[in-house]
Amino acid sequence: EDPQSDSSVSLLPHLEAKIRQTHSLARLLTKYAEQLLEEYVRHQGDPFGLPGFSPPRLPVAGLSAPAPTHAGLPVRERLRLDAAALDALPGLLDAVRRHQAELNPSAPRLLRRLEDAARQARALGAAVDTVLAALGALGARGPGPEPAAAAAATVTNTAAGIFSAKVLGLRVCGLYGEWVSRTEGDLGQLVPGGLA
Amino acid sequence: MMDVCLWWRQPSRMVDNRRTKMSPNFRWLLSVLTLLHLIMQINSQKRGVLRDLKCTTNNLQVWDCAWKAPLGASHGTVNEVCIEDRFHSCHRLEKTNIKIPALSPGDHEVTINYLHGFESSPSKFILNEKNVSLIPDPPEILNLSADFPTSTLHLKWNDKGSAFPPHSDAVWEIKVLRKPSMELVKLMSFNTTLSGKDIVHHWNWTSDLPLECATHYVGIRRYIDCHHFSGRKEWSDWSLLKNISWTPNSETKAFPQDKVILVGSNITFCCVSQTKVLSGQIGKTFCPLIHLHGESVAIHIQNISVSENSGTNVVFTTEDNVYGTVVFAGYPPDVPQKLNCETHDLKEIICSWNPGKPTGLVGPRNTNYTLFESFSGKYVIFERFETLTNESYQLLFQMLPNQEIHNFTLTGRNPLGQAESTILVNITERVSPRTPTSLKVKDINSTVVTLSWHLPGNFAKINLLCQIEIYKDNSKQELRNVAIKGVEDSSYIVAVDKLNPYTIYTFRIRCSTETFWKWSKWSNEKQHLTVEAIPSKAPDTWREWSSDGKNLIIFWKPLPISEANGKILSYNVSCSSHEETQSLSEILDPQHKAEIQLDKNDYIISVVAKNSVGSSPPSKIASMEIPNDDLKVEQAVGTGKRILLTWHHDPNMTCDYVIKWCNSSRSEPCLMDWKKVPSNSTETVIESDQFQPGVRYNFFLYGCRNQGYQLLRSIIGYIEELAPIVAPNFTVEDTSADSILVKWEDIPVEELRGFLRGYLFYFQKGERDMPKMRSLESGHSDIKIKNITDISQKTLRIADLQGKTSYHLVLRAYTDGGLGPEKSMFVVTKENSVGLIIAILIPVAVAVMVGVVTSVLCYRKREWIKETFYPDIPNPENCKALQFQKSICEGSNALKTLEMNPCTPNNVEVLESRSIVPKIEDTEIISPVAECPEESEADPENHVVVSYCPPIIEEELANPAADEAGGTSQVVYIDIQSMYQPQAKPEEEADIEPVVVAAVAGYKPQMRLPINSAVEETAAEDDTDKTAGYRPQVNVNTWNLVSPDSPRSTDSNSEVVSFGSPCSINSRQFLIPPKDEDSPKSSGGGWSFTNFFQNKPND
Repeated sequence: EDPQSDSSVSLLPHLEAKIRQTHSLARLLTKYAEQLLEEYVRHQGDPFGLPGFSPPRLPVAGLSAPAPTHAGLPVRERLRLDAAALDALPGLLDAVRRHQAELNPSAPRLLRRLEDAARQARALGAAVDTVLAALGALGARGPGPEPAAAAAATVTNTAAGIFSAKVLGLRVCGLYGEWVSRTEGDLGQLVPGGLA
Repeated sequence: MMDVCLWWRQPSRMVDNRRTKMSPNFRWLLSVLTLLHLIMQINSQKRGVLRDLKCTTNNLQVWDCAWKAPLGASHGTVNEVCIEDRFHSCHRLEKTNIKIPALSPGDHEVTINYLHGFESSPSKFILNEKNVSLIPDPPEILNLSADFPTSTLHLKWNDKGSAFPPHSDAVWEIKVLRKPSMELVKLMSFNTTLSGKDIVHHWNWTSDLPLECATHYVGIRRYIDCHHFSGRKEWSDWSLLKNISWTPNSETKAFPQDKVILVGSNITFCCVSQTKVLSGQIGKTFCPLIHLHGESVAIHIQNISVSENSGTNVVFTTEDNVYGTVVFAGYPPDVPQKLNCETHDLKEIICSWNPGKPTGLVGPRNTNYTLFESFSGKYVIFERFETLTNESYQLLFQMLPNQEIHNFTLTGRNPLGQAESTILVNITERVSPRTPTSLKVKDINSTVVTLSWHLPGNFAKINLLCQIEIYKDNSKQELRNVAIKGVEDSSYIVAVDKLNPYTIYTFRIRCSTETFWKWSKWSNEKQHLTVEAIPSKAPDTWREWSSDGKNLIIFWKPLPISEANGKILSYNVSCSSHEETQSLSEILDPQHKAEIQLDKNDYIISVVAKNSVGSSPPSKIASMEIPNDDLKVEQAVGTGKRILLTWHHDPNMTCDYVIKWCNSSRSEPCLMDWKKVPSNSTETVIESDQFQPGVRYNFFLYGCRNQGYQLLRSIIGYIEELAPIVAPNFTVEDTSADSILVKWEDIPVEELRGFLRGYLFYFQKGERDMPKMRSLESGHSDIKIKNITDISQKTLRIADLQGKTSYHLVLRAYTDGGLGPEKSMFVVTKENSVGLIIAILIPVAVAVMVGVVTSVLCYRKREWIKETFYPDIPNPENCKALQFQKSICEGSNALKTLEMNPCTPNNVEVLESRSIVPKIEDTEIISPVAECPEESEADPENHVVVSYCPPIIEEELANPAADEAGGTSQVVYIDIQSMYQPQAKPEEEADIEPVVVAAVAGYKPQMRLPINSAVEETAAEDDTDKTAGYRPQVNVNTWNLVSPDSPRSTDSNSEVVSFGSPCSINSRQFLIPPKDEDSPKSSGGGWSFTNFFQNKPND
């Protein structure tokens, strides 16, 4: 399906305003996600953040990375995936924050950013849900919060070791950025006038 | 990060050392065994059949003796073994060893006899305990376990102590081997003492290599040293090896995981991997890999540095993945410092401490503190993830009833160790009460209040010490301590006395205990106004009569708050005489004066202040003053805003002294304020914010006697003197030719601003349009100053002035505060009419006299004159001697003979005083005839008898420079026409010396050489036109034609004075008639004899 065809949907004024508002929020959160990632890396110690260090992109239970085929999906489907991911992210971010609270109790800014990120992801997910509902596509949404809870349990599993938790936290922060950015792009398709 | 990464070294050398250490025992045992073997060998050879009887025991109860069968003996040969013990037992058996109960100490004969197939040749041995070896059984490892996170092995075994006599010493040797090469990584021994029972022993060992990295094997053996056993003792065999291996899972492959270690220690990390490990790093530092087995590798970190909060990352990178672990390097807890325990309320103990040196560990690895109280056995735990910086930690401990002494032990623990600190306190002596609350104030009376407050705490068994701060406006705070019996969670109340009525106080309170430890914080402040009391003192009263003398005005001052003791509502004024007392009026506050009409009888005025509580004592003052005939007015000057007044003690004054003062410019009754001082005082300082500098005040000192006041002194004074702000107004009363009379007026007191000390009068020649006098005080030579210190003088005559001259007059007044402004005036003196008259009459008279005398002389000497000047000339025609032929002589004068009449010259007398004086040189009297002898010769026909040779006087300046310098000379000519000598200015007279006077009777030269050529040139140019009609014999430009009445410029320094018309040198008559238009104009109106030739002396 041609993604451009979705933007030709006649939008009601209030829906258009909501999309614009959600799109602006997503764009703002994209910037925040970058700052969060920088802050997170800064507190994990070397070699995190060093140019040659690339930890494995561990799979996160209940939250997959945006697939390469994502762009080929219809915009409504993409938004459904975005909403599902944004639904899973707050729990993961909360788990990362709790772990970092033990590891870096003297890093209030990192902890605050993680807390904010969880709240903002939740808000963005709700906004995307609203848009989907307005578009009449809410019913076919992705996985619920259960997998997210399982993912959070994975993050906080200390048996896996602190290093693994650090890597997993890094992965969660990265996924947060990816999904927020992807959401921004998907909403941009709906904004009259094309990609913002 | 890590300092160095080293290859991991195997502990083989350590094992070698252990073996080396044990070798002396082995040598000793070996020597004993060798000797025993030799003895038995000898015995067997002696007996001839059996060899090598050897007995051992593993439990000291049973001996196991074995021997070697004789040559040829087959298996199953029956033996008979007889032992010479208590029972002399014999045993038949088919083997070559026998277990026998342990024999008693001493030698025992053992006979072994082979029964079948052999000749019975019994072999006898002497068996002694000393020949028996004690070789215990190998120990049995009960359990071998591992704590992988800490890389620790736990070994557990049974010592089987029941098999040996109690108190036997046991030596244990444990070895740890590591795969794959089964290298010995640990061998250690330790001693125990057997108790006669089976005891399970434990041994822990921490591996430097994580246990996950390789399989570890453990074995153990023992050596029993039984003191009662006299035989040889040997090591047991090694037990069976037990191993510990790690079952790998898919998640974790780097070890140790999340370990906490001491800063500076060494640590080895390994990575268990199925794929090739490419690198190992700690932080950002890569380390060399140590191959373990398979693809597993390790890195060794030496002297690790302290980690950051999130730990130090150790990362192994394989071909397809990254494995990592985190290590936390820190310090064990420091000893808690400044441990202090106190209580706020005797219910709860607060112990605070400083954690000391940071451990570098946070979160779950942070130090936990436990506060343990040993008497009660209770404890509380402090846990905190964050490490506080610069902040003390504290724990709350609930007090037990009736327990005062507490022994606290504070223990800090973290994964690296623990530290503790103790304190023993009597908590009743460590009370720091909480802040008192609910502070309230209640009145008791005007000087006493009660304070109440609430203080939480169980203080029933102790006494409190509280401090009350009392503060009132404009006074220093006061602290009062009160001791109170403590109660439990209750309010406290105390009385505060010695307060002032009707005063606002601010109270606050803080408490401690009698056994002082700390004050509580101050409570909130509480303001309170105490109740009123009757005024304590009478108002300060004064009275003044009105200007018309009919009314008496009574003044009083409001009572200060400390004496009013409340709000003054009104004042009662009463008047009493000998006959009656009359209450005049009630004056409401804030009016503080009353006016009553009284006659001149003496009355006593009484003033009483009233507030809501009552009335003050009355203040009484007599209406009439006690007269004083001897009153002097004095002067005084203060400093700043105060003035000191002193007086002599007057024993008659019994009440007090009153000083009243007022502004002198105010109208009567004059009263600004008054001040009462005690009767024994002789001085006081009057101070008032109303005092202003430069304002005159009158001070009156009154003495009190029987409520009546007598004026003792009157003083006028200034707080500070200033310069007058106006100049005295002065006028010129009279002007003459040489004097001016000036008169001035007084300066008003308000504008004088100080005591007048005098006037300064300046005068100077000057015109109105000239610039004003500059810098009067600079002592300019032209400015004359007169200082008039007699302030009563109001006129001044300035004498010795020049007539017809403008003068600039300036007058200033001054005080001690400075000079006032100036007032100036220009005055022109009058001309001197007498001199003018004299100047006219004298020349006329002289001229008349000269004319008369000349006429008389001429008349009387007419013959001589005729003979001299007009002699009768004989007719040559009548001279026979000279008679020529008429025809020849007629018409030819040349042929006449010159008559030789003598030429009589006029006399010229020259007086010369100094060489520098312009000298009249070469006074040559040359006849015109003599000047032109050729002419005479050329024109012999013009033979003329010349009777007079006109003089030519030529003046030359011998030394002009010296002349200018001061040695001027002047030639004064006595003119036959004027016959008077011009008078120079008085000040110029001194400059005209010496004088060269050239006087020739009957002659006056028409010129005089100038001294200042420049000036003269100017004058000459100006007057050239005016001298037309006459050309003197010398350069007329050098003349300064000034007529006697012409103005003289004072600007010119020329001393040239030329007057009158030039005279003919051939006659004694004026050649130029004295017409007005030809005379130099006179610009001055009048002239005096002294300035005859001057018009503007200063010009």
